[in-house]
Formats: sequence, structure tokens, C-alpha cells
Amino acid sequence: MIPVPFLTLLLFLPLAGSLLLLAMTRRESLARITALTIALAETLLACSAWFCQGSTTPQAAPPGFFLFLDRPWIETLGIRYTLGMDGISLLLVILTAFVTTIALLVSWRSIKERVALHFLLILAMESGIIGVFLSLDLFLFYLFWELMLIPMFFLIGIWGHDRNIYSAVKFFLYTMIGSLLMLLAIIGIYLIHGQQSGVYSFGLSELIGTNFSTATGLWLYGAFLLAFAVKFPLVPLHTWLPDAHTDAPTAGSVILAGLLLKTGAYGLIRFGYPLFPEAARTLTPLLIGLAVAGILYASWIAFAQKDMKRLVAYSSVGHMGFVALGIGAWTPVALSGSLLQMINHGLTTTALFAMVGMLDEQAHTRQIEDYGGLWSKIPIYSAFFVLFAMASAGLPGLNNFVGEFLILTGSFKVAQLATVLAFIGVILPLVYTVRLIQEVLFQEERRPLSMTDLSLREILILTFLALADIVIGMHPAPLLEVLKVPVALLTGGAP
Amino acid sequence: MKLYLELIILLPLLGGIVNLLLGGRLLPRRLTELLACAVIWGSFAATLGAAASYTAPVTVELGSWLAAFDFKAPFTLYLDPLSLSLCLMITFVCGLIHIYAVGYMKDDPSFVRFFALLNLFVAAMLVLILAENLPLLYLGWEGVGFCSYALIGFWYRKPENATAGRKAFIVTRIGDIGLGIAIVWMFQLFGSVSITKLNSMGYLMPIGVITALGLLMLLAAMGKSAQVPLMVWLPDAMAGPTPVSAQIHAATMVTAGVYLLMRMFPLIGVSPTVTAAIAITGALTAFYGATCALVQRDLKRILAYSTISQIGYMMLGVGAGAITASTFHLLEHAFFKALLFLGAGCVITAMHHEQDIFRMGGLRRTIPGTFWPFLAGAVCLAGVPLTGGFFSKDGILGAVWLKGGGFYGTLYFVGLITAFITAVYAIRMVLIVFAGEVPLNHSLSKGEGKPLPRIMEWSLIPLAVLGVFGGLLNLPEYLGSGVLNSFLSQPGSHEGMLPHATELLLQGVAAVVAVAGISTAWFRYGGDRRQQRLALESAPARGISAFLMEGWRVDALYDFMFVRPYKWLSSILWQWVDEGCIDDTLDRTAALFGRFGHWIGARGDGRVSRSLIGMAAGAALMIGWLAWVML
Repeated sequence: MIPVPFLTLLLFLPLAGSLLLLAMTRRESLARITALTIALAETLLACSAWFCQGSTTPQAAPPGFFLFLDRPWIETLGIRYTLGMDGISLLLVILTAFVTTIALLVSWRSIKERVALHFLLILAMESGIIGVFLSLDLFLFYLFWELMLIPMFFLIGIWGHDRNIYSAVKFFLYTMIGSLLMLLAIIGIYLIHGQQSGVYSFGLSELIGTNFSTATGLWLYGAFLLAFAVKFPLVPLHTWLPDAHTDAPTAGSVILAGLLLKTGAYGLIRFGYPLFPEAARTLTPLLIGLAVAGILYASWIAFAQKDMKRLVAYSSVGHMGFVALGIGAWTPVALSGSLLQMINHGLTTTALFAMVGMLDEQAHTRQIEDYGGLWSKIPIYSAFFVLFAMASAGLPGLNNFVGEFLILTGSFKVAQLATVLAFIGVILPLVYTVRLIQEVLFQEERRPLSMTDLSLREILILTFLALADIVIGMHPAPLLEVLKVPVALLTGGAP
Repeated sequence: MKLYLELIILLPLLGGIVNLLLGGRLLPRRLTELLACAVIWGSFAATLGAAASYTAPVTVELGSWLAAFDFKAPFTLYLDPLSLSLCLMITFVCGLIHIYAVGYMKDDPSFVRFFALLNLFVAAMLVLILAENLPLLYLGWEGVGFCSYALIGFWYRKPENATAGRKAFIVTRIGDIGLGIAIVWMFQLFGSVSITKLNSMGYLMPIGVITALGLLMLLAAMGKSAQVPLMVWLPDAMAGPTPVSAQIHAATMVTAGVYLLMRMFPLIGVSPTVTAAIAITGALTAFYGATCALVQRDLKRILAYSTISQIGYMMLGVGAGAITASTFHLLEHAFFKALLFLGAGCVITAMHHEQDIFRMGGLRRTIPGTFWPFLAGAVCLAGVPLTGGFFSKDGILGAVWLKGGGFYGTLYFVGLITAFITAVYAIRMVLIVFAGEVPLNHSLSKGEGKPLPRIMEWSLIPLAVLGVFGGLLNLPEYLGSGVLNSFLSQPGSHEGMLPHATELLLQGVAAVVAVAGISTAWFRYGGDRRQQRLALESAPARGISAFLMEGWRVDALYDFMFVRPYKWLSSILWQWVDEGCIDDTLDRTAALFGRFGHWIGARGDGRVSRSLIGMAAGAALMIGWLAWVML
């Protein structure tokens, strides 16, 4: 068994690494290598957590958590440094470490100014995201929730293209308004719980089971839901996303789509539903309605896009709609599907954004109409592109299908109409995907662009992602097994 | 048995993957081709092995796939007479198509992509056929969808090819909505997605539910098997290389929809509404395809419409509850349609990629090695008495007749009329392409015919033999019992048997109809009349023939009704609703706050620190207020 500070190490290694990078602002290649080393070490660390499963449950840990750490922090306010890892956190932390490494690798050459700062921000963000996925204390959770925003703001603002400042501010305002409301709600729960029990605490396991009057519960849950819905993003709170993605540098898009969007869904699963079961049930129709609206609406709009990054961004909104549907249904099968879909979407969309970034790097345009006939020029690139595009369109045998299908299977029981509509939403991604493939890879070239095929580094990145896509698509059983216990505990079903 | 089943699927899959990764680079061209063909024949050998050791239906679990709580869909294969006979046909016909393709694609630089996809296509189809649960079937179902998309658009530089591939993918997937909903619904109703379990649990549900499930599956079958109203993708799918057309239209993909309905028939066949809907879809489609095929000028389009029509017959058979007859026609059609497509490929190659039959002629002399097999295929299609096509089609019509009543009686006559039209267009095609003289302006008339690779013509012969003599597989009862019949019919199946006299009478009628069709074609296109008719029909089509030429103008209708509005609304939603309304409202709100801030700022001294303190104070105030309310 690994000694207790494992979680602390896991949480703060990237942040420590980013502090280290502060000293390397003048030495770019050293900064790159250091950052990559840290990220790889973090990935190894995250993966090693896999093997802690099934070992004896640590003392005082809530059920389902196989790694747990609880230390007093600001005792007068009842704030504790509580970290815990169950199957859900495990998978998301591994995803975070993996996607962060990819994000570093895709910006290896494309970032030419202030390299160390760029990498530093990415690593700092990694700590923030991992903190979100590990915190079991609401105050701590909020702290990391804010921590992960700030680096993203700078990533878009400094290295972004076109209307970068506008997009960065827009991103910041949206998420900020949501999270401020969430802060108020957190304080609200804290006070109500303290009032009822006499124990003032921000600890999640302490707060679960607090009784709220119906109206109070709805208000507090509403604030949480709003903060998470912005992150998700759910229609109609999604308009920051296309702008942020379009103007963000590739690494920014990768982390945004691959990781930040997942924090909203995670928050809803870990905090929203367990803290406010009644209010959540009351607002389920709203969540499912917005989810299905998002699936159809965003997928439809994606078809009209001219900018590839914008297209992938809208596709993200659609795919996250499926995740929201599964959470709304809250049956064991649907919730497993949602969690799996979060991982899948993280992998597939990461790959697509990285690939669009690779084109942009060479040809300096993201407009679909500037490309065409790429298959004959860069066949390896094209083959990878088709693979990830098909994964995104939900082709069985690849990862996204597995998640979507479980979500739909699990949701049908509780929301038949929504599931039927969502099935229509399954073909819309195919419509925009095959259009994208046709206009970019097939036909004749529309502008003479000299393109070179993938470099070894790029092939390496994409091969890892492709393998992950195929393996999960063909054999998702290990991941579903990991999710089984936490999902069963959350939904109250038998594991 | 487990090993055989594993090999059947894994060989083509591995062949595809190995070729995809190593073909062309590590493997020289010959080796790539050899590997692609060898794995299919290996799969055929494994199927033979499975057939030899087959005694009773077997279920083999190869591993887990989807499993979450009570939902389980493992990699489980199911071998019964139906799946076994289809596997035999698929591996055999696809094996021949692969060999043929070596010749057909010998000058194409993208052979690696071609053979890899062709192999994967077969693998996906075999998964579809052997799947024991519906999600696994769906995996194969979508797999063939993807491979057909990539193969139809194989020559991707031409926009129309790429568009045809895309159309096939999207239209078939519209039908898949039905299958998807049916799967999750059945899981909710029965708690299982296993095909064998579902088929034995139908009695648990009221007939209305079964009807709804059946109609959903019919929707899926319409998409995949190109039935009215989702048939529009198939004629365009001719854009792919000819071996692909043969593989899609004969042995695989298009029969998947019919197969689904056969597979689930014990469950959905209980509902008379469902069988009636299947039957009428089939009859209508058979008639539709035949009428369109009557006027086409493009050789491959004739065959495509003919496929639509023939699959309509299979659906009609399923609708009449005649699963065995339908399966028989499915197998028989696979042989003669693959033969016709491969023959068409020979013709097109010999004519230097000319597909317009009006610019052909006299080919019986230039390429006799293609002519005779092609003729064999055409007489099967036309239903000339004693060919395999005659017996198989007659089996379906007999079953429809047996059902009796006004509804099925009408469908019988539709089927009969269609049989007449089929004979006409089949013989018209042969006469125009092979009779007469080589057009003067064509290089063939100067003796510059392109020599055909010999393996192309060789691979036609086994198909021709099977097509013509395939009737022996399933002779009508008065001539001794059918091998296939006794193999396929399961204990307790309620497929009726016609009295021998009635059957003979019906076959007599069918024979008369076929002969009438052939004579009609002969009187229109035979001998000297060929040239006159060609001159007449070469004029731009008008009136009814233009209507038929354009496939009843369904494409234009769909374009107007669905495609355009979808594209148009997509832009509207984006630019007006998303950016215009939602985003703009939020931007304006932000701007309002900004102005408010300036107004405040103008009244303050503009120092940030003071504002920040103000903000903190405000926040403290709010929290204090909240606390007061809560306390």
C-alpha cells in the first residue's frame, strides 16, 4: 500500500513543476523537456493509482473510496483538506494526466513566444483540474474550481488568435458568474447544515443528508446547476464555447474540451445530486430537456460551420448533451454510460482539436473551404482524421458508441421521448462529420497548399489516442468495472 | 466449433488490419492481394468446417463487450441453419469477388486501401450475420455501413463519388434510428438483448408492443436493404468500383435488412400488422425497382434498380412468412447478381470505362467469355423456367398466394406484374449490350479491345453454374425434397406447403409470365428492331420514361423536402438564433453592465483598489444577508 501523502503528491506535482518552470523562462528547450517530464511522471503516478483499487479501504473513508486523505486546515471555519479517490476520480485523473501530456506535446513546436509561461500555465491548470476531481471538501473544491480557470484565461488571452481578448473575457465572465453563485450556495449549505447539526463543516460526507425546505433546496441546487451547466455547457449557456475554442491555441482547446467540460458533469454527479437529491429530482425534466435540446440544436448548427474548430466545438456541445442526458436519467446503466462518455469525449475531441491544430500550424487557416483533396497529399493524417471523426460520429467498435449506447439504454426507462429524440441526435453528428471529411480530405484541392504529412511526434500522439479509442470501443469492460462501485453507491442500486 | 467461428470472423478482420498497416510498404502488391484473397477463402474453409461439424444451433461466447449492471452484450456468436447458409454464401461469393478485384483493380494505385476495406467489409458482415445479440449485430451493421461509405466514395476525387458514399451512409443510418430504439426498448421490456432469448419471449408482451417493435425494425431494414422510401442511396452507390457494387448489392450489405427481419421473425412475425407492412413494402419496392430499371441507360444503374426490386421480393416473402423461400431467393440472388455485376465490370473494362449501354453492342463476339456467364445471370434474373432464379422467385410468389385473401392476392399480382417487367428489362439489357454491332465510333470496332485479365472472366463461371443450377438446392416438393428447405425449416415452423397441383399451376403461370416478358423484350429490341429502338430511346427522355429514369423523382422530392430545409435551417439557427439571439442578448447584457460600471467609475475616483474593496464589501454584505436569512 502506498503511504498516505500519495494524493497530495498527485495533486501538487504539476503545480510544483510549474513553479520550477518559473526559473526557466529564458531556456525554452529545457522548459519543454522539464514540463514533459513532469507531465509524464504525473501520468505514471495517476496510472499507478489504478493498482490501489481493492486494497484495504483507508480508515474513515466514505464507501467506495480506496484512497483517502483528511487533514484539518482552517479549523475555525470547519474547512478541511479532504481528498479522496474512487473509481470515478481515478478515471478522470488518469484522463487529466494523459490529456495534459498530449496538450504539451501538441504545443511543442507551435508555441514560439513565452514558451515556459505557456507550459507553466498548462501544468498549473492540471493541478487545478486534478484538485477538482479529488476534493471532498466543498471549500477546497471551490478553490480548485477557480484555480483552473485563471490559467485558461491567460492561455486564450496571450496565445489565442483573432478576437482572443474578447473570447477570454467572455469565457471568464460566464464561468465566473456561475461559480460565484455556486460559492453562495456552498456557504448556504454550510450555514444551514451548521444550524441543523451544530457542526459547521464543508466536508461532503458531512453535508450529505442535510435537510432543506423545498424552496431552499431548489435555490441552492439551482445555483450549483447553473455553475455546472455553464461548464458543461448546456444550451443556452454554451455560446462562450465556440468563441473560446476558435480563438484558443491548440493546447487550450485540447484542455478545454478534453478536461474542463468534464468538471461540470463531474460536479453534478459528485456534489449536485448527492447533496440535493430532492431538488435534483424536481429539476430532472429541465436537465433532460436541455440535454436533448443541446444534442439536436448544437449538432444541427455544427453542420453550417465554416471554421473547423468551431465545428468541433459545436460537436462538443452536442456530445456533452448525451452526458447530461445520462446524468438526468440517473439510472446505473445511464450513469455508467455518462461517465464513460466523459472519458470518450475527452479522448476523441482532444484528438480532433489536435488534428485541426496540426493543419492550422501548416496552412494557417482553419476554414473548411480552403482545404480539399488532403487524402492524396497527406494520407496518414487523413486516415487518423477519419478514425477520430468516425469515433466522434459514434461508429460502433470505437469508444464514443459505447458511452452513447449505454446512456440511451439506461435513459429509455425513465425518459422515453427524450431518448427517442436523442436517437435522432445520433445521426446528426454523422451528417456534419461526413461533410467535413468530404470537403477537407476528399475531392480536389481548392487552394494550392503544400502540406507535409505527420511528423513522428504527431504520429506518436495520435497513435496513443487512436489505441485508446479502439481499445475502449472494443473492450470497455475494465473501465465499466472500475465505475461499478461508485455508480452503484450513487444511484442506490446493487453493484 | 468455437475455433471455426473465431476464424470465420477473425481472418478477414486480421487481413484488413494487416493490409492497412503494412500493405504497400512492407508487403509488395502481390502479397497484399494474395493476403486479401487468402483470408476470405480461409474464412470460407472455416465455414465449411463449421458446416461439416454442425449438428444443432450453437452459441459461443468469445469475450465480453458491453456490460454495465444488468445490461450485457458480450461478443457472442450464434450459428444456426440461417446464419450458416448465409455465411457460406458470403464467404464464397466475396472470395470470388476478391479474386476478380485483383484483376479489376490491377492498375489502381490505391490497392491497399481497397483491399483492406474490402476485407473489413466482409468481417463486419459476418459479425452482423453471426451476432447473437442485437448490439453486436448493430456493430456489424454499422461496420458495413462505414465500409460501404468508404468504398462507394473510393475514387474520392470526384465530388459525385464522395457525395454518393455520404448519401449511402446517412440514408441507411436514418433507418438505424429504428433499430436503435427497438434495441433499448426491448431491453426495457424483456431485460435482455439476446436474439435467441427475445425470440422466445414474444408471448410476454401485448400484440401492440410487438407491432411497434416490428415496425421499428422494418424501418431499419428499409434503410439497409434499400426499400421504399429509403431506397434512394442505392442507385448512386454505383459510383464505387464494380467489385464493390457486386459485394454491396449481391452478397452483403443490402441483404442485411432482410436478414434482420428473418432473424427476429419469431418475435415480430406474430403481429399481422407487421407482416402486412413488410409484405407491402416489399411488393411496392419490387415494382418500383423494376419500373425504374426498365428505362435506364447506365448498365450499373439497371442492375442497381434490379437489386432494389429483387430485395423487394425477399421482403415480400418475409411478409408472407416464407422465411425459407426468402432465404433461398437471397442466396440465389447473391449468385446471379454478383455474376451480373462482375460481368458488367468486364463489359465496362472492355469498353474502356463506358457504362452507357446505348454506346455498346456486338459484345457477344468481342468478349464471349463474359457474354455466356452474363446471359446465364440475366436468364436467372428474368426467371426463365428451370433456372435457379425461377424456382426461388416462384417460392416467394407461391407463399404469397398461399396466404390468400384480398390483400395478399393483390400483392401476388403485383409480384407477377413485376416478374413480367423484370424479364423485359433483363433481356433488354442483354440485347442492347451484346447483340447488334459494335458502335462505329468506338475503338472496339477497330479491333482495339482492351484485353481482360483472365481471372476476371474465370471468376464468373462458378457463379454462373450456381445461378443456373442453384434450383437444385431447393427443388419444389413434387420433384423431391429441397435440401435447403429441410435444412432451414425449424421444428414447429408454420410455413405452409402448397398442394402439388396448385404449385405446378403457379409455376406454369410464372413460366408464362417470364416467357411473355422475354418475348416482349425480343419484339422490341430483337434483330433489326434494336437499332430503331436505340435511336428512339436515345432522345432525351420525356414524360413517363423521364419519370422512371429519375427513379420516380424521389431524389428531387427529398432534396426539396429534407435536404434543403436542413441546410437552410442549419445556417439560420447558427447565424440568427445562436449568434443573433442568444449570444447577442448576453453580449448586450454585458455591455450594459460595462456602461453601468463606467457610470459608477465616473462618480468614483477610478482607483481599482477602491473598487475591489467595494466589491469585497458587497460580497460580504450579500453573504451576511444570506446568513441572516438562513439563521
